[in-house]
This record gives sequence, structure tokens and C-alpha cells, in this order.
Amino acid sequence: MNLTDLQALEQRYLMRTYKRAPVEFVRGEGALLWDGEGKEYLDFLGGISVCSVGHCNPDVVEAVREQAGRLMHTSNLFYTEPMVRLAERLSESSLGGRVFFSNSGTEANECAIKIARKHAHRRGISAPEIISFERDFHGRTYGSLSATPALAANPDMAPMLPGFRAVPFDDPEALRAAVGESTAAVLIEPIQGEAGIYPLGDETLLAARQACDESGALLVFDEIQTGIGRTGSLWAYEQTPVRPDLLTSAKALGGGMPIGACVTSPETSEVLEPGDHGSTFAGGPLASVAALAVLEIVDDAALLRGVREQGAKLRDALLALDGVGTVRGRGLMLGVGLDEGFEAAAVGADLLERGLIVNVPEPGTLRLLPPLTVDSDQIERAVATIAAALLSYAPQ
Amino acid sequence: MSKRPSEPRALTSGTAERLAAIVEAAEQAAAKVIDDAEEQARRQLSEASARADRIVAERLRVLADELDPPASSQREPHLRPVSAVPQSEAPAGPRSGSAGARLLATQMAVSGSSREEIAERLRRGFDIADTSEILDAILGPEE
Repeated sequence: MNLTDLQALEQRYLMRTYKRAPVEFVRGEGALLWDGEGKEYLDFLGGISVCSVGHCNPDVVEAVREQAGRLMHTSNLFYTEPMVRLAERLSESSLGGRVFFSNSGTEANECAIKIARKHAHRRGISAPEIISFERDFHGRTYGSLSATPALAANPDMAPMLPGFRAVPFDDPEALRAAVGESTAAVLIEPIQGEAGIYPLGDETLLAARQACDESGALLVFDEIQTGIGRTGSLWAYEQTPVRPDLLTSAKALGGGMPIGACVTSPETSEVLEPGDHGSTFAGGPLASVAALAVLEIVDDAALLRGVREQGAKLRDALLALDGVGTVRGRGLMLGVGLDEGFEAAAVGADLLERGLIVNVPEPGTLRLLPPLTVDSDQIERAVATIAAALLSYAPQ
Repeated sequence: MSKRPSEPRALTSGTAERLAAIVEAAEQAAAKVIDDAEEQARRQLSEASARADRIVAERLRVLADELDPPASSQREPHLRPVSAVPQSEAPAGPRSGSAGARLLATQMAVSGSSREEIAERLRRGFDIADTSEILDAILGPEE
């Protein structure tokens, strides 16, 4: 079956929710992908920050292969060792409380929203409110969607859940003013990902922490994109001056297997009780062994140092290019702001033609999320490809 | 007269081959012993290093807890009605800028950042010119 056949079947059978690039990938290894015609691509998107240990990482593959042959699913009515070991590892590496597993990032945020609302009700708040920032992206299920202002504004999807409010991004005063007696939580992306890689400033983070402490609200970090080593520490909050009460993880956690997690602090670990939440597949042994294999690779000082060093190298090289105005982000989560006149969408499409996969989250920005295991040669190759593309698309 | 078969030479040759094979096997076994010993030493070194990292991380986490006390110890009772929380009762100090800088430095140390990386982040994020006091408190004085 070739690409044309696939496109015909897609037109007939798949809902039209995605605009796909005209490429069929059939194989991956490390930072490389190959299409159906054998063409090689350098993947600097990593399945949108999922394949952080590279495509088909041998340790992850072996863990999944072995587990698949032994036990794939039992439900959460019984014990399985990988789930419990993964919960221990996630808790001990972050906030120290309990873990609820899910199948995706948006579900992880649903769990955080439930905890925040119940926590608020127990404090006597009848109409709890969750505050997020404009241009945040927290997911597409209704709770997470309601905390995602740009998508929540779509009238075709109305009504959203009540009890969500957005404040201007990185505005500490607006945040302080918004947090009050009815605030259940402040939900934060420490670095906005889908918006185009915009880090929150320290002042805003400190204001959020302080406002939450003063009101009794919970500070929730959505680390779905920033976590699992993406920014050069296992969790992005470790490079900020605050520590959240809850954090959510997904994407890279499973190395390609679907899994999400909501981790609490010890103080919030007793909020959810039996019957409050659940999921049939979540924490299953297959996804859990994959996540354990990922953490075994990523939770490593040398690898994380490499992420910071390679990220700095990539940033410096990009900033030296004609056509690049800014480079935002941390570690290997970078947003490349193009100079005025450059069409990022056209540049992105041209890069794909040249064998480099990036993403265009907004006009004027290229988003780079390469595997954390990317090597220096691959970084140089990516920079050279971007330089060539920018040269050919330079405004006249 | 029949010649004696050249058995002795064949025997000699066979013995030599067998000896060579034995020597080769012995060399391979010795090499394997050496490889195994080296592998074991590497593994032990790696495990010792990991243990040391865990001890350092645990101590730094304890330090982070001290800098950012659990909410339950700051707000008693934790799940109280918000109407009972006047602004003036907000915890003073622990979440201020300077405490934030110390927490940032500690969290970065836990995550494996170097002294230079932490110093740079403190200078950039908190405009702290002399970072040595914070860094010495967390990482110990520079050698």
C-alpha cells in the first residue's frame, strides 16, 4: 500500500481532525525516521516530545517485548508489579506523594482538576475556580479543554465546564488579582509548549506559589511536555524557584507507549479516595514497563547534563543564523522565532522536504523537540538544514 | 619391508594441535576471567557511584524540604475554610524571592546541575551578583 492508497483510505474512513503531512513513516531508530520510499529524515519533533529516548529505543523495545509475552492487562482491580514500581519511582523522583495513572496527558490533567476541586470543596468552597494562563494548552477532554482558553473559545464545543478562568500570560499582578477565596488551583505550564515555547518567568512562578499559599489553593504544574528530562532536569520545576503541589506527566513518559500520571505532594495524597476516579487501562503492565525503561535512561545525571549542553549548543548555533530572531526555551525544548517576513509554515514544509522534521505551532515559530539522545553531528546537520531553508525563503 | 606408518609424526602433530587448542582455550578462559573481573569492577564502581548520587540527592531533597516546608506544616489545618485565612497570615519568608533562589539552587543541585550552571541561573533569574553564599550553603565551599 503506498501513500496515495493511504490517503484515499484516510479520506474515506478517518475523521478529519488532523491535517497530515504527505509522508508515511515506516521505520525509526534513534533520531532518525524512514518513509515508505526509503528516504531518511532527522526527527526534531520526536512525535511531539514523546520519543525522547529515540525511536525504538532497544531498552524500551525489549521491556515491552518481554512484558507483552508475559502479561498485558489485568485491570486495576488487581496488583501488577510494574505499576507499583513505576509509582514509587515517579513519587520518589518528584513530589513524594501518590500517583494516579492515566492513558494520556489530558487525562492526567483531569485527575489534577478533580483533586483540586475536591480539595477546594473540603475547604468549604462551593464553586471552585481553576486559573490558567492565556494560550496555555492542557488537553482536549472537557476539563482540560476548559483550562485551554484558545480552544475553549470554540462555540461549536460549548458549553465548557464552569469554574475556569484565564489570565494574561506571565503577568504576576494579573495572577495575584485573580487568585482569591474561591480559587481551587493555579494550573501552569512552566514552559508553554503548544503556544510556541514560552517559559514562565520566575516572578510569575513565585507570585503563583505565594498566591496559592495565601488562599489555600493548589499549584499544579502541567509537565506533560516539559517533564522527563526535556528541559535538562527530570522535571522542569527543578529549574524554577517553586515546587508545585501536583504535577502531571505523559508524552515522553512511555517512550511511545500511551501513559500519563498525576503525582501529588504528601499533603495532597489523601484527597482522592476509592470511587473518586478510575481508568480501565491506566497503569497497565505494558505501558508501565516502558515507562520504567524510559526513566532508567533519562533519570541519569550524565544524560541530563547532555541535554543542557546539546540544548545550549543548538540554541547558539540557531541564533547565529540569518533569519532567526530569538530562541526561547530550555534544554532541548526550543522555539525558534523567525525574523519578520519569514513564513514559518513554508519553512517547516521545506524542512520536511529536506529531511528535517520540525513543527510550526504559530506563525513565525519553529518548534524543536529532538530526542534527548540526539548527538552533535545530528544537531549540526539540523542547523545546516535550517540555515539552507531560511536562505531559500529569505524575504525579498 | 614395510615402512612403519608415520604414526608418531601424526601423533606429534595431533598432540601439538590438542596442546594449541588447550592453550587457546586457557587463554580464552583467562581473557574471560579478566573481562568478567573488569565488568564486575565497572558494575561495582557504577553502583557505588549511583549509591553516592542517591545519598547526595536525598540530602539535597531534605534540604529542599527545609527550604520549602510541606504545606501541612505551614498551614494548619491544611484543609481549612479559606475564609479563615487572612492575607496577613500568609507564610512569611519561605516563598519570598531569596527563599525562591535557595529553593531553585537546591532543586537544580538535586537534578544534577553543576555549580556553574546554578550560579548562572541565579545571576540571570534573580540578579544575584555573588552567588557563593547560596552555593556554599548547598554544595559546600569550593575546593
